[in-house]
Amino acid sequence: MEPIEDELSEEGALELPTEPMRLNMGPSHPAMHGTIRMVLDLDGETVKGVDIQPGYLHRGFEKSCERGTWQQVFPYADRLNYVSPMLNNNGYASAVEKFLGIKVPERCEYYRVILGELARICDHLTCNGAGAMELGAFTPFLWMLKLRDFIWDILEEETGARMTHSFSRIGGMAKPPTENLERNVLDLIPKFEKTIYECERAVLRNRIFLDRVEGVGKLSKDRAMELGVTGVMLRSTGIDYDVRKSCPYSIYDRLDFEVPVGHQGDNYDRFVCRMEEMRQSLKIIRQCIQQMPKDGPVSVTDVRVMLPEKPAVYNTIEGTIAHFKLVMEGIKVPAGEVYSFSEAGNGELGFYLVSDGSGTPYRVRCRPPCWFNLNSAHEMIIGGMIADIIPTFGSVNMIGGECDR
Amino acid sequence: MPSFKLDGKEIPFEPGDTIIRAAWRQGVEIPHYCWHPGLSVAANCRMCLVEVKSDRPMMMPIVAWDEKSQSYVPANKPKLMPSCQQPAVDGQEVFAQSPEVKKAQASVQEFLLLNHPVDCPICDQAGECKLQDYYEEHQHAPKRKDTEPVHKTKGERFGETIVYDGERCVMCTRCIRFNDEVAGDHVLDMRERGNKNEITLSPGRTLDHKYTLMNEHVCPVGALTSRDFRFKARVWFLKTQQSVCTGCATGCNTLVDFDPRTQTVYRLRPRDNPAVNQYWMCDDGMMSYKRYHEGRIRNAQIRVAAGRMADTDVEDGLEAATNALKRIAGDKLAVVLSAQHSNEDNLALVRLARELGATKLYLAALGGWEGDKILRDADNNPNRRGAELVAGSPLAPLSQLLTDVAAGHVEGAIALGWASAEDAHELMPLARLKTLISLSSNEGALPSVASVVLPVASHAEAAGTFINRKGMAQQSKRAIFAPEGIKPAYETIDALSKALGRDIRLASLSEVRAQLPKAQEAQV
Repeated sequence: MEPIEDELSEEGALELPTEPMRLNMGPSHPAMHGTIRMVLDLDGETVKGVDIQPGYLHRGFEKSCERGTWQQVFPYADRLNYVSPMLNNNGYASAVEKFLGIKVPERCEYYRVILGELARICDHLTCNGAGAMELGAFTPFLWMLKLRDFIWDILEEETGARMTHSFSRIGGMAKPPTENLERNVLDLIPKFEKTIYECERAVLRNRIFLDRVEGVGKLSKDRAMELGVTGVMLRSTGIDYDVRKSCPYSIYDRLDFEVPVGHQGDNYDRFVCRMEEMRQSLKIIRQCIQQMPKDGPVSVTDVRVMLPEKPAVYNTIEGTIAHFKLVMEGIKVPAGEVYSFSEAGNGELGFYLVSDGSGTPYRVRCRPPCWFNLNSAHEMIIGGMIADIIPTFGSVNMIGGECDR
Repeated sequence: MPSFKLDGKEIPFEPGDTIIRAAWRQGVEIPHYCWHPGLSVAANCRMCLVEVKSDRPMMMPIVAWDEKSQSYVPANKPKLMPSCQQPAVDGQEVFAQSPEVKKAQASVQEFLLLNHPVDCPICDQAGECKLQDYYEEHQHAPKRKDTEPVHKTKGERFGETIVYDGERCVMCTRCIRFNDEVAGDHVLDMRERGNKNEITLSPGRTLDHKYTLMNEHVCPVGALTSRDFRFKARVWFLKTQQSVCTGCATGCNTLVDFDPRTQTVYRLRPRDNPAVNQYWMCDDGMMSYKRYHEGRIRNAQIRVAAGRMADTDVEDGLEAATNALKRIAGDKLAVVLSAQHSNEDNLALVRLARELGATKLYLAALGGWEGDKILRDADNNPNRRGAELVAGSPLAPLSQLLTDVAAGHVEGAIALGWASAEDAHELMPLARLKTLISLSSNEGALPSVASVVLPVASHAEAAGTFINRKGMAQQSKRAIFAPEGIKPAYETIDALSKALGRDIRLASLSEVRAQLPKAQEAQV
């Protein structure tokens, strides 16, 4: 393709100097993912300054957790990163389990990884699909969301809900895997591969798309580390930090997968990293399906942690008491503090929990990956064009539920 | 002070203490059902078993499972001792959490739940039941028995106040011992043995002494429940506030259990205080909470014609009272304090009397009831001493007021409280006064003859200080909120004094408390 004539930009430079202009983007702008507001200082179309104002989706997540029992945090955790709720579920469950010092059965670990990786694929599909759409590529968006719907079908069959599953439990899962899980996942693979292949073909050879993402929204390695950026955003700069590999939790140390990294931390790298990560996630799922024990418990049996089976609750006093104690007073988590972290859709999702020994959390502090990722957004936006805010901010993948809590 | 070691923690004890009592004094709980600090030792529940270290331990022969030979082999285990019966010995080492003890606790707990019915959802004790607490702490294992449980009597009325459920009973005999040792009435006993064991009434008797409701509170499980509280509320919805019983001059310390959502008090429970009521309360005292809601005055009332009162709001009532008081000369004004109201309320009224120049002070009090040597005082007024203390002198009874009214010395009166020994008929002469302002939380003889009734907060709705028969000043705290617009009596009196152009400056609790005579003066 021919380069754009230089004269044109010369001509632009000769234009009359423009008045600085202040522009509000959001909070109710369709391209501002989630509800977030940016106050832009513009010189023509160039962004000279930006004030990013999150907080429109603040629900008081952390404070709300201090009112219910430890188990009652799950529905709130669902609504952190609502694009991949299973990962939040698992992250919170494993944090409390670390606190209690209990180990969940192996079948549960595999099941959690399968559902979590499915959620990760959903997360990346949404981010990349929407990112492509905003640059005019509407078709890949529809393909990706169609694929996401297939995954949601699986998640629905497993957990009973398409989005906010509340499916993990402290000490296990609400239900064992369904008989159809294996078949459903295997059925998904050809659809997945076809979709990813076609989407990549549609956008990665498209000049319009490439011009908008290559070299745009760059983030340097050093700045990324300074700002505490994690997840795809960090890996796109070339740092291969993935909690699943660096501090393997659950059963990730038994699984064979790679951590894709980028070169220069621009929108292109982030897009491609996400594409590759989805493939790796599917690879993980495939291994888990093979390795997962076919039967056995998915939850611990300690009645101080896990609700007893319903027949026991209705027919024996022991079951009734255990149920009563867990529901009315909650799991008695020993007094102390714990930090537990896992790799969520956007990066390192941490839970810092404090217990006073009662059935109610004393403090639930969430380290949302989005919050730290968002901190890098203004650097990536300033100096660029106003139209580039959309793909750049889209690839940060800020999720209001998680960022604002 | 001698001491012993409990799980490595140093526990000092007084000579004669048992292990469990010494630990209890230090705030360390050894699980127990039958032991109660105020009752004799029965040592029958076996929940408080502990291991006592000894140079010559008593070993019990048992059979234990041997992994190697895959069979049971003879073995020994240390004999555990009931800590409620075992005297504490200086330098002794006791283990309440060793593996053997934990096993024993789990086994005892499993045994107690063997025939227990699945009653938690319909049991009033759920939420404050020892069986539930100890199951979670010490047993936490599923049921192993799969045969039909033994059935026993359910919902048997033991009297007007208490219902017995034999299936829930753990046979700790606390109730039997309470009736024997504290109430002094051998009305309960035990019959049968083994799993047919149950609590029974003495032939021809019912639980009818003055302390029957205590049976519910000594019962660690849901076997004995109060008929008054049955199915009224679930305890986990209730909040608790510390208070003092207003039943009589003893001033038993209480816990007020109320539902914060509806601002309703559901019961009173005894609060431990060795100097006043130990662990106990009488039935009438516990039922005195009924007054918080029954016959409550929620509006000001103004007499519009002889014998006819009209409801109005508190501001209008205050205005009517102010206008009426302005027409009465100070020396013709009688001021009636209340032995049912707190020092705070009475102090405010005494101040108002001084401001208005009224010198005739009287005391309205209930006429007494049957006292006993356990807790009940013959004077069923909680604060006679307090009222006299803030007045600074002995107070004339209400009968004297009737005499003074008949003699024409009094033209108007202002009276605190609903309580009086005289009934409405006897107080009729007061209705013929130019004015009688009654500050009252409840309906009663005094408000019924008043020309203006101003509603005030009840005992549960305001903090207050009460001086009991021993001269001890005890504070009760506010449990529920008063209905909208209704203030504690001292605030209402303060508002009245302001309306009269005389400020007694007692508008807040801290102001009143700062000016109260000290409790020690009352003890003289």
